[in-house]
Amino acid sequence: MRRTNIFALLALAVLAALAVVSQADALQAQKAYKEMVVTIIVTPSPAPVGFLRPAAPAAAPAAAVAQFARLVADPFAGPAQIASSPSAWDVAPGVTVAQASAQPPPVPVQFVAKPDPNAAFIHIVPHTPTLYAPYGITTFTCVFEVYTFYTNTYNLTDWGYGTSKTSGSGSGTFPIENYSMVSYLSWAVPDFSPTFRPYNNAGPPGETTWSGAKGQAQQHCVDLTLNVPNSQPAGTYTATVQYNLYVTLP
Amino acid sequence: MLRRLAALGATILLAGGNPSFAGAASPAAQGSAQVNYKIMPTVRAQVVPNYLSGFGPTGGLGSGSTPAAGASAVLGGGTVDFGNVIVGYQYLYKYAAQVSVQTNDSAGFVVYGEGATDLNGSNPIPAPATFPLFQTLYWLVSGAGNTPFSPATSFNRTNGNPIAGGAGGIDYSGVGGKPLPASAVWTYPTSGNVSRGYDYELRLSGAIPTSQFNVYIVYTVIGN
Repeated sequence: MRRTNIFALLALAVLAALAVVSQADALQAQKAYKEMVVTIIVTPSPAPVGFLRPAAPAAAPAAAVAQFARLVADPFAGPAQIASSPSAWDVAPGVTVAQASAQPPPVPVQFVAKPDPNAAFIHIVPHTPTLYAPYGITTFTCVFEVYTFYTNTYNLTDWGYGTSKTSGSGSGTFPIENYSMVSYLSWAVPDFSPTFRPYNNAGPPGETTWSGAKGQAQQHCVDLTLNVPNSQPAGTYTATVQYNLYVTLP
Repeated sequence: MLRRLAALGATILLAGGNPSFAGAASPAAQGSAQVNYKIMPTVRAQVVPNYLSGFGPTGGLGSGSTPAAGASAVLGGGTVDFGNVIVGYQYLYKYAAQVSVQTNDSAGFVVYGEGATDLNGSNPIPAPATFPLFQTLYWLVSGAGNTPFSPATSFNRTNGNPIAGGAGGIDYSGVGGKPLPASAVWTYPTSGNVSRGYDYELRLSGAIPTSQFNVYIVYTVIGN
């Protein structure tokens, strides 16, 4: 092999190595994004209920009542009882009978967790991924934190995912709902403002969460308030919010 | 299940079949008898991982990579193997496991599903070596509309004693004989021969170390 070929190969190898090493030093596009999933469990109490007095039951015939009372008093009363078990119970009260059970072979689960190449620029630190919410308005403090950084100026935006304005299921169910209904889930970044704003559910471009200067790393808590309307059945729901890091390429 | 035939009201024809009464001048020997009996309940169950064609992971939205089932996942068996997943993203594993139950218990049954341990890290072994299963691995009933963001319930780590690290199941004898009530995944009200399929969700927080993780999910069926 000639010396020039060797140099060319070496140069290619160096370029390939640089490409791999520098992959984490910059985003490959103007945008990186993360989905934050919050599980919401609407608890059935204290669910508001209405009370409707039930109608009085129809009275049973007097003869039937008397016959029933006799049967309760002595189920075996009769003219010619020949045999009867001495015990009315096949298992005495208070004695626990073993319950039948079965345990099939377990299901093995595995995965290999790989590093996130964009974690140096945007990542989410969940603190309370499951919210237990009664009816009405409840505030949850620092449900999660968002970290952002870039070597140039940037914006962090958000919108509810899975609505009619985004991809995903498009179902727009509780609590984010579909535009033009207002989301039942609101957010605030107390480091900037205590004011809660309903999550944007109109899809891109969404709403600005915060902005960053060149080389500025910041991590802030996100507080949430959830309004569970009286019409919402108790159950398990999820809210998925997409956080987008838009950067200015050098 | 205990059945008590409280008053076998049918007439017992002692006189008709018994010679000692046949010619007797006594009044007709007819009456009622109480017979107590019980049928012992039986419960049988099977669990099939990767139970339907099309099983495997989806999701990882925003990670830039498309997940694929690992080599340990095979149709009708093997491991629920998410393959390579990216820290900080969410995944759905379709058709992860199907639970089938056969019982004569007219009061039905409850199926519990829980992790024998937390997630055990290996290759490389992280420090600490385990990561919480709770709020990392979730279950939901299989459905065509399921996504990585569908409402789901987290698996719990058992309070029982894992046998052989979970490969042999869970021994509940020291914790009241049954799993945690919060680990119920299916309540069925009557007897029958029934099945239900489950998808799994993996929600990887940014705190999980990069490693290979394993856990055994143990299903226990208990008659009511």
